[in-house]
Amino acid sequence: MARNFFTVMRSSAPSSTAARPSSSSRSTAPPPPNMKEAPAAGVGVHLDPSLEAVRHDLTEDIEMALELREVSAFYGTFQAVDKISLPIPKNRVTALIGPSGCGKSTLLRCLNRMNDLIPGARVEGEIRFEERNLIDPTVDAVEVRRRIGMVFQKPNPFPKSIYENVAFGARINGYSGDMDRLVEDALRRAALWDEVKDELDKSGLALSGGQQQRLCIARAIAVQPEIILMDEPASALDPVATLKIEDLMRELAEHYTIVVVTHNMQQAGRVSDYTAFLLAGEERVGRLVEFGPTQEIFTNPLDQRTEDYITGRYG
Amino acid sequence: MSAATPSAQLTAYAPRVRVRRGISVGFMVIALLAITVSILMLGALIVEIAVDGAARLFTDGGAVSVEARDGSIVSDLPTPEGMGWLSWVLPIAILLPFVGPRVVHSVAHGVVHGVPRVAERLMGLAVVAPVAVFLHILYVRFESAYFIEYAKAVDIDGATGNVLQLFGEASGFQVVRLVIMGIGLPLALLLMGWFWSHRMRKPSLLIPAILIGAWIVYLFMDPWFLSSYPSRSPSGAGIFSAVTGTFYMMTITAAIAFPLGVGAAVYLEEYARRNWFSRMIQVNISNLAGVPSIIYGLLGLQVFVRVLEFERSVLAGACTMALLVMPIIIVSAQEALRTVPPSMREAAYAVGATRWQVVRHHVLPYAFGGMLTGNILAMSRAIGETAPLIAIGALTFIAFLADSPTDDFTVMPIQIYNWVARPQAGFHEIAASAIIVLMVILLLMNAAAIIMRQRTRTDW
Repeated sequence: MARNFFTVMRSSAPSSTAARPSSSSRSTAPPPPNMKEAPAAGVGVHLDPSLEAVRHDLTEDIEMALELREVSAFYGTFQAVDKISLPIPKNRVTALIGPSGCGKSTLLRCLNRMNDLIPGARVEGEIRFEERNLIDPTVDAVEVRRRIGMVFQKPNPFPKSIYENVAFGARINGYSGDMDRLVEDALRRAALWDEVKDELDKSGLALSGGQQQRLCIARAIAVQPEIILMDEPASALDPVATLKIEDLMRELAEHYTIVVVTHNMQQAGRVSDYTAFLLAGEERVGRLVEFGPTQEIFTNPLDQRTEDYITGRYG
Repeated sequence: MSAATPSAQLTAYAPRVRVRRGISVGFMVIALLAITVSILMLGALIVEIAVDGAARLFTDGGAVSVEARDGSIVSDLPTPEGMGWLSWVLPIAILLPFVGPRVVHSVAHGVVHGVPRVAERLMGLAVVAPVAVFLHILYVRFESAYFIEYAKAVDIDGATGNVLQLFGEASGFQVVRLVIMGIGLPLALLLMGWFWSHRMRKPSLLIPAILIGAWIVYLFMDPWFLSSYPSRSPSGAGIFSAVTGTFYMMTITAAIAFPLGVGAAVYLEEYARRNWFSRMIQVNISNLAGVPSIIYGLLGLQVFVRVLEFERSVLAGACTMALLVMPIIIVSAQEALRTVPPSMREAAYAVGATRWQVVRHHVLPYAFGGMLTGNILAMSRAIGETAPLIAIGALTFIAFLADSPTDDFTVMPIQIYNWVARPQAGFHEIAASAIIVLMVILLLMNAAAIIMRQRTRTDW
């Protein structure tokens, strides 16, 4: 089922009628010439809404944590994201990349109904999560957010003690077990325990930026979610702290499904297993251009625009 | 643990976490001055005890002896009422906010935060403890001085004592002590204030100024003025019932207006959809803040005094005042709620909190300081309002304390209004005194609001 959804249907794409190169010849065969020639300036023109995004084959048989089907997001009358279909493989790191304003963060916030909080925001389409469409208004958004955690761009610990920061989510969700152990476990998983174990009653705001972000990750882990969404988690951090967060993401991927939005190509290359490239046209509506294993996207992009973006030619 | 490996490698390069504020030059100067003054004060204290004997200093101030006209010493005069306990309560009340919570806190958290902060607090204690003892001594001395004047005024055995006598001509340390009290005490108060405000984010001269101002006002004040009921004669009249009436009414006003106002603000900011209805409410609240207070008085007269039959009671006054200040409380509480960054709400939602949990556990606690500040400012407006209370018929001559919220009452502005309106000059003078008292209360409330705003501010 999941694999079917994943298979590429290039033939339905009007602008790319050429036969898709087979997996074996992909590394040698050049991408279709008509795509390569698409000028950067004309991106908006070429992005026909009916255009299917390019997708690579999955190289492994894997369960899907989420399946997005034609997800569109609107802020009032402004459309931010248009008909994005995307799988999110379970226990893998999936990166969303693309230039600013292409709807990456909007798309991410759709995944745990965070956009519900913005007046006038609206989401259409379907996001399959355990046989249910989590966009459906009958689905409890609070429950969705408990099971799909989020880490934000700017570290935002509560102005409370480190302990309370981590314990809060568990407490409001009626956790009745050993709170001390839960806090310790979450902090250990977030690779923060050794640094803060002696000062758990210190304010979360007293930590450094990198530590704050790891505290936020510990806070997200403490409610034992299945998926963790990260919105440019390292963009406000220095390189050392960034490296720590990236190591952490790799470790967390063993137990959690991670979706990460990033501006940083190297970061996407380092941490992610799968990558989705989004691009907005002149009308500022974000669309999916290409999705596939990170290795493929970075070494063998099928779409000219992906290659241009990754090699830094525009964006 | 696998996660420890990268952390361990990176420790050498990790950004240094600033644990506590570095000691600045200004702080060191203040600390040095504080220590000097402490030593001076302690020295003077030892002199006091050596000369006068500990028994006299640490009992009440009753041991007043007055030189009678014939040269004999009249001792064992009756002491002024309430002097004994007040002479200790006042200095301790000034001392407690400086060290009380801090010492408890440092004992509780000293293990975690390390020794230096405890030392810092002990230094604060070393500064203020002698100051408190001196406040006690000065209180006793000035009370006694006042008592001599009082004895002369009522002609007790022809008393002729004078103030200097009380500072101990015989001891030979008069000059030293006067210098210490004249310079050392104001300086010590200044330092106390600095010490205190240093703990806040922005050190200011406000608190020292208030402390010294309060001290000066206190020195010149007749304590009986505060503790007497209104009287037919200006010399016997006081503002006891007016002050207690004011505090009684303000307490009930705050109890009514604060929960309702904060509730309305939470609804408007956190729950209400942005539509024409909520906008209409918003505009109306802003308009209500501008309605003349006499209109509220007329409303209160009809609704609370007549329809609800509260009569001219504290309750009717408090309800009217609550209506009057509600718009101010709502608007300031809304402002406070808006200062809580959206990222805090998002963070709470992201771990699966419901809207109420977000408000209850995060938004309200973070905005509470700001709300309290707005509440105090609203109260300081209400405390000076006269017109609505005249409209509902608050009395001006109350020679008793209100026992229940349904009793008659008076408040300070009405008492002042009444005294000013009388023809005798004596009443005009006590009206001026009452105005000063009212002004000091107002200033203290506003200072409390400012301090609270500083202390509860969070840098997100």
